[in-house]
Amino acid sequence: MANKSVTKTAGTNKSFIDRMGGQKFIVLLIVIAMFIFFCAMSPQFRKYTTVVSILDYSYYIALMAIGVAFPLMTGGVDLSIGTGLICYSLIGGYLVVHQGWPTGAGMVVSILLGVAFGVINGCLVALMDLPPFLATLCTCMITRGFGSLIVGGFGIPWPTAAAPGGWFRSIFKIKMGGQNIPIGFLWIIILVIIMTFVLNHTKMGRYTLAIGSNKEATRLSGVNVKFYHIMAYVICGFFTGLAAIAYSAIFATVQPGSGAGFELDAIGGAIIGGVSMTGGVGSITGTLAGVFVICLLKTGLPFIGLTANWQQIITGIVLIISVLIDILKREKEAK
Amino acid sequence: MKKKVLAVLLGGCMVAGLVAGCGSKDDGKATDGGDSGEGGGYHFEVVVKSFQSTYWQAAITGVDEKAEELGVTVNKTGPNAESDIADQVQMLNNAINQNPDGIALAANSQDAVLEALQTALDKEIPVVCFDTGVPDAPEGSVIATIATDNEAAGAVAAENMYEVIKDTIANATEQVRIGEVNQDATSANISGRGMGFINKMKELIEADGKTVAVVGNQYYVDQVENNGDEASADVIIEVAVPAQTTVELSSTEASNIMTKKDTIAIFGSNQVTAEGVLTANQNLSVLAATPEEGVVGVGFDAGATLKAAVADGTLIGAVTQAPVDQGSLAIQALYDYCEGNEVKDIATDSYWYDAENMEEDDIAPNLYD
Repeated sequence: MANKSVTKTAGTNKSFIDRMGGQKFIVLLIVIAMFIFFCAMSPQFRKYTTVVSILDYSYYIALMAIGVAFPLMTGGVDLSIGTGLICYSLIGGYLVVHQGWPTGAGMVVSILLGVAFGVINGCLVALMDLPPFLATLCTCMITRGFGSLIVGGFGIPWPTAAAPGGWFRSIFKIKMGGQNIPIGFLWIIILVIIMTFVLNHTKMGRYTLAIGSNKEATRLSGVNVKFYHIMAYVICGFFTGLAAIAYSAIFATVQPGSGAGFELDAIGGAIIGGVSMTGGVGSITGTLAGVFVICLLKTGLPFIGLTANWQQIITGIVLIISVLIDILKREKEAK
Repeated sequence: MKKKVLAVLLGGCMVAGLVAGCGSKDDGKATDGGDSGEGGGYHFEVVVKSFQSTYWQAAITGVDEKAEELGVTVNKTGPNAESDIADQVQMLNNAINQNPDGIALAANSQDAVLEALQTALDKEIPVVCFDTGVPDAPEGSVIATIATDNEAAGAVAAENMYEVIKDTIANATEQVRIGEVNQDATSANISGRGMGFINKMKELIEADGKTVAVVGNQYYVDQVENNGDEASADVIIEVAVPAQTTVELSSTEASNIMTKKDTIAIFGSNQVTAEGVLTANQNLSVLAATPEEGVVGVGFDAGATLKAAVADGTLIGAVTQAPVDQGSLAIQALYDYCEGNEVKDIATDSYWYDAENMEEDDIAPNLYD
């Protein structure tokens, strides 16, 4: 067991990279295959506007997934990201819409709130040894109540693209020659590159994986486990803050009380992309590919005429298969 | 030391509880006294579906206004979300324990409140249901139900939409399509509204000599009488239901319909689905004032985004319910009952609003943010 963790954390081991590259490659192929399938099945789907819509709705899930990949890789989870996203977006938007703050300041508040709740989650898990499932379920409830409380139950319409202060909507989408250009995807790619580097080439990333593989061994080797464990949740909170901005920029109104269930899309994406639920294994590029499996399912299934019940059944089956693959892979390794 | 502090605190809480308990009993007596005296001064408990939504804030505005007018006191509670069914039942039980002169209830679950309603009946506390009825309530417990006639509300949307698209339908040489996005196929409100729209639209089109086929979500299609044949019908009404009640998935369903070449109009039957139509339009930019220019959009309910879209003409209009009226009528019914007058069920109106009339006095108060 200790041996395994060493090879995993080394990050330079060839077979490890090969294997992860393999999984990422498979998921990418699945994404492409799904896209071709939906294009073939539905004339409405193979339109530029559909691609823009899929990208629009992928940003907030992708950002949450990049973030939540870190707690997942420590062997934990963060269930507060869905309601947290809505909470940070509500409060940031409240300051902009009702208190006259500049849009930029509201966005910074959204991110800072994400970081703050990341610190709380991290402390509950790393310092007080609460099970991550329980700790973040509690903060999930707290963020849900807190957001609604601050805004007094009113939906928050962040400024529209044409209104003063609406510039932030063009971070993710600009209009050029009558066409919408989804430039948000560029930022996502840049963030994925940065976080891949952080995961594979910095102490932060390598210790995150090490904690997930074998926390005790990592501690004994002199690593400040508590600090890095907290930081994994702080990274998650930071990205949830970014996701809150993406959500505010794409959707017109942010409704209090919503957000529960968003986390499952993000966690599902990360797991499909090869992040292990038991920790120690994962990649950011794989996570992004996994998110697109979820997003394509969400958009594509209605377009090929499947009704709500079938959409849920198929999404559930896809998740089961990807978790099974993860389990089988680990059993094979253990042998 | 810590334990002692805790003990003192707990003791303090208990004393406070006792005092509060006594206090409320006294209140009850005071209002009872008020009864026989001047015929006012009743105390009512109001339990809404969710305290955290603007729709219910509007209903509470109606409650407060009427309470002030009649000189009664009201205490208002409600859970965080409409899905918090158990919380609401507990709030209802608490309300019953206050021994009020009456309770106004907007039930989140028609089954979960039955036991509490029986308790209220045993204690002879009259209950008025508003927004949503409780069909299986114990005989005599609910004295009146005040709710939107959802079938009629859907029909209002169909009538106003048909005004704009009827010439296009009459002159069409090929099949045309009308879309409808409904949040779910389970709640009585939404399905009533959805069917109200479908039936009225079908009736209007058929009256002008064209044929209609309703396709899409099975639940709605199955309820259509004399459904036409999809291949040969002049007009298709396509019904979509998102897998979850989010704007995102509603928008995906709406995009699917709005990108079809033959689509001339679309209806989102509540706030979430109407916003879904608007979100889809951000990328598609097909919504227009007439079917010649694009797709005609109609919404339901209000909220800042929807109001802005109606004001700037992106949607030709929307239907709003009357939450203010409902809150007000619920208190009036309780008051009348306590005064010994007869009370009846009331189906409240829905209003069509568009850029022209949304500032008018009978419309504006029901357009919550």
